[in-house]
Amino acid sequence: MATTHSDSETIGSESVDDAEQSVSSVEARVGWRYTLAQVRKDPTAFAGFIIIAVASVVAVVTTIDAVVFEYLAQYQVFAQFGVEKYWLAKTLWMSPTAEPAGTPTLLPPVGMENTFGQGTWAHPLGTDDRGRDILLRLIYGTRIAILVGVLATAIGLVGGMVIGAVSGYYGGWTDDVLMRLAETLYAIPFLVLVLAFIAAFGRSITFAMIGVGVASIPKFARLIRSRVVSVREDEYVEAAKAAGVRDRNIILRHVIPNSFAPVLVQATLQVGTAIIIIAGLSFLGFGIQPPTPSWGQMLSVSRNYMIQNPWFSVWPGLCILITVVAFNMFGDGLRDALDPRLNN
Amino acid sequence: MSAPLLRVDDLEVQFFTEDGVVRAVDGISFDVREGELVGLVGESGAGKSVAVSAIMRLVESPGRIVGGRIEFKGETLIEVERDDDGEPYRTDATIPDGELRERIRGREIAIIFQDPMESLNPVFTVGGQLREFIELNRDLSEREARETAVQMLREVGIPEAAARYDDYPHQFSGGMRQRVLIAMALACEPSLIIADEPTTALDVTVEAQILDLVDELQERYDTSFVWVTHDMGVVAEICDRVNVMYLGEIVEQAPVDDLFYDTQHPYTEALLDSVPRPDETVEELNPIKGVMPEAINPPAGCRFHTRCPAAREACKTTNPDCRDVTDGVTEHRAACIKHDAFETAYEGSPPLETGAGGGFDVSLSGGETDD
Repeated sequence: MATTHSDSETIGSESVDDAEQSVSSVEARVGWRYTLAQVRKDPTAFAGFIIIAVASVVAVVTTIDAVVFEYLAQYQVFAQFGVEKYWLAKTLWMSPTAEPAGTPTLLPPVGMENTFGQGTWAHPLGTDDRGRDILLRLIYGTRIAILVGVLATAIGLVGGMVIGAVSGYYGGWTDDVLMRLAETLYAIPFLVLVLAFIAAFGRSITFAMIGVGVASIPKFARLIRSRVVSVREDEYVEAAKAAGVRDRNIILRHVIPNSFAPVLVQATLQVGTAIIIIAGLSFLGFGIQPPTPSWGQMLSVSRNYMIQNPWFSVWPGLCILITVVAFNMFGDGLRDALDPRLNN
Repeated sequence: MSAPLLRVDDLEVQFFTEDGVVRAVDGISFDVREGELVGLVGESGAGKSVAVSAIMRLVESPGRIVGGRIEFKGETLIEVERDDDGEPYRTDATIPDGELRERIRGREIAIIFQDPMESLNPVFTVGGQLREFIELNRDLSEREARETAVQMLREVGIPEAAARYDDYPHQFSGGMRQRVLIAMALACEPSLIIADEPTTALDVTVEAQILDLVDELQERYDTSFVWVTHDMGVVAEICDRVNVMYLGEIVEQAPVDDLFYDTQHPYTEALLDSVPRPDETVEELNPIKGVMPEAINPPAGCRFHTRCPAAREACKTTNPDCRDVTDGVTEHRAACIKHDAFETAYEGSPPLETGAGGGFDVSLSGGETDD
């Protein structure tokens, strides 16, 4: 019917007063652009954002070098160009896992001196117990921290979102069963849960990551449920129901997007937590296995040389600290940016 | 006369709360014919909104439809009967949930909600939401749906519709949003639109614009409306026929002119006395005394007798149904035993002192309370 009235005759448009039109000039308070603009106004949050951005770029590049190139090296097409694992690192400098003969071990940073020798510009941050460059290993360790931190959080986020949204939207016994399960999981100490997971499935970084993700599901589930319970009462949800939208689409398109802000903040903070946990697991020997560089594993090795070369411990510790603090600063800024009450 | 588009028959909706059973809608019947605008009027808490949400089975827990039958275009939207234990159950004639969602909701019956500020999803653009509903209910491609959406926005009087398509709801004023909601309801080309107090949240000038718009659109599309409101002015302005609700029951049903000029129920009369009318000049408006009793424990007998200026002893024991009170001259039905259609002892019954007459001190007249 409506399409037959394509004569574009407008009803009542002349009666729309000026006051109604002027509203369009109000700045949008939703969307990525607005949120990021808010974050930019907050120097701490913005600093966190920059650190995360840099670390992410480093993580992506090193992952390509370590994982993608290793994969491509299997094929003749790429291998004939010399593509191999750590191709980029080797071309520019050297492999982060190589133990070059003749390099002094446990060298201090530039300008320092210890029993092993004088720090040189060849190894700006010094060398480790096997003579490998610490700076290079820190750079290649970033990818484990960021990637595993983000992926573990993503697992927790997606799992928690599905469980929390379904639980909150349907209520009743669905809610009871899912939430009691989540609380049961919540009652077990985080690290114990992750260690149990690794013990059950195997000692690898993949399972450590999945374990951290699964262990964080209840936190997200409870958070999103608490939002969904109030969002599902909103009139636009009822309007969607009245228009014949399926439950699944109501949850995906109407309920979750409107419950997402606090979850996003929680996720950002959770990445920091996940990085610490994964580093801790690497420290305990449950995470990444040598010789692949990771911050936690470097810390673990360095504790034997604390007296001889304390810098060996300081650098990876500093990296973890900076990254985690960056995620927390960004998360706090995001919370302020997404909270409409704090915006004037 | 052809069969009505929508027929609600003896509908009962109850809310099972911790304090007891709230009989929000207690056996109401009304119908809507093709192209008609039917009003549902009453005070807050009379059960109007619950009654209309029951039409699309949108009553949510702890609420439940416990009796009655709703028929739409010959299909049974719901039919609830009671089994031997008095436990309500849906009969087989009731169309299944999936089918109701696919074929009826949005496509055949649309709802315009009360609060235009809350009825649009704040995270999506206005156009996007409109398009979602159109795609869902009209089998159009995304591009066609988009064109239709812009067209509808234009038709409800949104200036620069194509440009405003990508705006978010907060960039629209209340009146504009209500126009969008009307566009949403109309865009799916339903046969019936349920308007649940759509102008209550708007100021009167915008309300007048919206009412004009609805009037024009209704003429053009010949859509039927159920218009829920507590505003007698709105009723007079747009309705063809009116149902007056009080405490979960319909107390008077009449064509709009008869309702205003040949009022048959004391409650309707009291309602009309409490608002200014352009055709009558009074020194002082006469509000209805007291507040509506709780639906959880309604008064025995006629539910209005506690506040009724014409109440008599007999009203405490008889709860009248809606009967034809004008000998079939017009379709005018009322639920008050003062009419001859009810063979009760109203005439001989002593008047009740309810304090509703005004001017009397309630405390001096003992024994009039209903307990």
